[in-house]
Amino acid sequence: MRKLLVLSSFALMASSFCLLRAQEASETRSVWDGVYTEEQAKRGEEVYRKECAACHGDMLTGGESAPPLTGGAFQANWNGLTLGDLFDRIRKTMPLSKPGRLTRQQDAEVLAFMLSINKFPAGKTELYRQSEMLKEIRFETKKPAKN
Amino acid sequence: MLPKVRKTALQWVCLIVMCSLIPAIASAQYHAKDTEWPSYAADTAGTRYRPLDQINASNFNDLEIAWRIKTDNFGDRPEYKLEGTPLMVNGVLYATAGSRRALIALDPETGELLWIHGEHEGKRGGAAPRQLSGRGLAYWSDGRDERIFYVTPGFRLICLDAKTGQRVPSFGEDGIVDLKLNDDQTISAWNNGEWVPDLETGEIGIQSAPVVAKDTVIVGAAFREGMTPRSMRNNKGYVRGFDVRTGKRLWIFHTIPKKGEFGYDTWLNNSAEFTGNTGVWTQISVDEQLGLAYLPVESPTSDFYGGHRPGNNLFGETLVCVDLKTGERKWHFQLVHHPLWDMDISSGPILADITVDGKAVKAVAQPSKQGFLYVFDRLTGKPIWPMPEKAVEVGNVPGEWYSPTQPMPSKPPAYSRNGVSIDDLIDFTPALREQAKAIASKYHLGPVFTPPTVSKLEGPLGTLTMGTASGGTNWPGGSYDPETHIAYLYACNSCIEPIGLVPAPKDVSDMNYVAGVAGREVQIMRGPGENAGADSPKPPKKRAASQYVRLDVDGLPLVKPPYGTITAINLDKGEIVWQIAHGETPDVVRNSDLLKGMNIPRTGQETYNVGTLVTKTLVIAGEAQVTTTADHPRGAMLRAYDKATGKEVGAVYMPAPQSGSPMTYMIHGKQYIVVATSGGPSSGEYIAYTLPSAGE
Repeated sequence: MRKLLVLSSFALMASSFCLLRAQEASETRSVWDGVYTEEQAKRGEEVYRKECAACHGDMLTGGESAPPLTGGAFQANWNGLTLGDLFDRIRKTMPLSKPGRLTRQQDAEVLAFMLSINKFPAGKTELYRQSEMLKEIRFETKKPAKN
Repeated sequence: MLPKVRKTALQWVCLIVMCSLIPAIASAQYHAKDTEWPSYAADTAGTRYRPLDQINASNFNDLEIAWRIKTDNFGDRPEYKLEGTPLMVNGVLYATAGSRRALIALDPETGELLWIHGEHEGKRGGAAPRQLSGRGLAYWSDGRDERIFYVTPGFRLICLDAKTGQRVPSFGEDGIVDLKLNDDQTISAWNNGEWVPDLETGEIGIQSAPVVAKDTVIVGAAFREGMTPRSMRNNKGYVRGFDVRTGKRLWIFHTIPKKGEFGYDTWLNNSAEFTGNTGVWTQISVDEQLGLAYLPVESPTSDFYGGHRPGNNLFGETLVCVDLKTGERKWHFQLVHHPLWDMDISSGPILADITVDGKAVKAVAQPSKQGFLYVFDRLTGKPIWPMPEKAVEVGNVPGEWYSPTQPMPSKPPAYSRNGVSIDDLIDFTPALREQAKAIASKYHLGPVFTPPTVSKLEGPLGTLTMGTASGGTNWPGGSYDPETHIAYLYACNSCIEPIGLVPAPKDVSDMNYVAGVAGREVQIMRGPGENAGADSPKPPKKRAASQYVRLDVDGLPLVKPPYGTITAINLDKGEIVWQIAHGETPDVVRNSDLLKGMNIPRTGQETYNVGTLVTKTLVIAGEAQVTTTADHPRGAMLRAYDKATGKEVGAVYMPAPQSGSPMTYMIHGKQYIVVATSGGPSSGEYIAYTLPSAGE
């Protein structure tokens, strides 16, 4: 009987946890929810031009030595991950000549610019500057269907 | 004053475990040479072929990971562009790895790290035009000594004892030959408007593997991207041969002839004196028996504008055959006269003993960005099949010099697209075709060798090209089966390159024209890791994001599939045997709402980073793009095809795309396939696959 009680408790805890996770999932945002502002993307374009375009190209289409930051292959790379993952990749490895040289604000601006070029909608609040917070924003290539 | 290399740099150099190394014991049916992979492309003939067949069509899907090694810690930062092909010889696997371009030795059965060597090069390494782990290394042995050769990002040839990972003191200066010296030129850089000697930041380097043949190690040269050079003047990419024992320079080949040398007169207005680049940045092939080396030479300065270098510009974009011992030119064939398309010969020549019209011919087959496979008698340089000079369009860029003709191989037929016409545009639906036509109407279109245009706001913005900078076959090169005389070539069939020229602002470049788009600020293009601090571009002018012209149609590729192909070409006949789309249909196409309900056959993938491996029965190549499908989570597949038919016979999941060419070997009766993976969120990792042991 005691065994049964323990098992039931575990089952209850597990189902509560799953429910909580499900709620969290539905409450997290994606790149389709207007997670940056147009102004931020404009500032990001200036940073991009100065710091990134030399390798990734004026049109973000990549070069002989650097991958594109727009288009199907780029989006497939990040689909299902979070903006925190993409932000960390930029922050830890870019610009290649001196990773981490840009501030968090500049990195977030560049990321906002990349989102705008990839046709994700702008919104009213600026993109976060902390990867922990950006990890709450999902990178989803396909626009979710409205309920 | 030369920068000093730390003598025992990165000497967390281990070595320790070497005494336990066990020589490779091949299973009875294989020759020892068939079980090893002793050179970058398996051999110096550039075949990427091993006649192993333990892994075959019946069991490819059973492959599992034997070992894997991340390269994150082989440098001060992770690398996301791991392009290396390891070697496996005498029971040890060697590879270049990580942002340090460290040299690592591994147990080929377990992946255990045996030793590591790296060089800290300071500013010289940081300023190098071609950084990161590079594509590989070379191995040499006289049966007693075993040596490893590789070139650092800062352009030093390093000779290591293969058993210990320590530099060989008797080679060069303490195991190093400084490649920026003894080069028949003074390596220089721009400093405050002056072209001055500078061994630290002077632009020259290389990312490909040196090649060792007999007792000579050959090294070429590479530069930064050549679309928007700061100057028409640059260092030159000569090729040199060195003695494997002493490091003594044995010979040099001037890829831009010096005054009095053959070909100097193909550079009018003294342009040979100041024009640079024209290196050999890809793999060199060697016929050890004939004692001949084959040098695939790249473009001169600059990629898309040649107005400062009138003339045909030998040996730019030329296949040159030289004597292995002396570097003396035996023959040459210029694939592209007066290069204007960045068609630099981008992959290793394939040496093939074929039979043409009943006669045995020692041939060399040169894959290319422009989708032609140029096939020559490798003793004489004579084309196997006619390669007539044909008239091509002459452009009207002010100051440009045009070759009125270019050589066009009559056989084999082009194996990938090398021009753009309306018929090439996306045609899944009439509406998509119309949208694509609207985009293409802003550009000049035409067949192979359609020249660049000056970019104009009112149009054309440039020439829309395929088979140029990133088209066809690029650095990974092809494969060749010496038994069946069939070559296997991956090609990008959709790598579109808009080539527009704009007047170069005087504060950016002394060129008349550089690559660019009308109405936009000129942007200097850089290679990976190039020191961005020294000459940062001027502050940008503001402009709206809407001014970006996207070369896609609602996210779909502008051109129709197949986006990437593998082609089998019979070199006895000069005919295509089969051609397939390589790679899963990209997510953006497979999931497109615009294409819902349509049955679209596998499209292949656009990339220029895929190399192939040929075994006894299979052609093996991974995907270079990530997809997420019902069959697998986000990742890429390593695919195997029946080499006789091109039919897919198996596929195994990789967590990240292939970014270097696969290689194979057999040790203690087990065959392994190793592939470099990286890209996007995935840092570099070598992954070794093998079959489960019996009973598993």
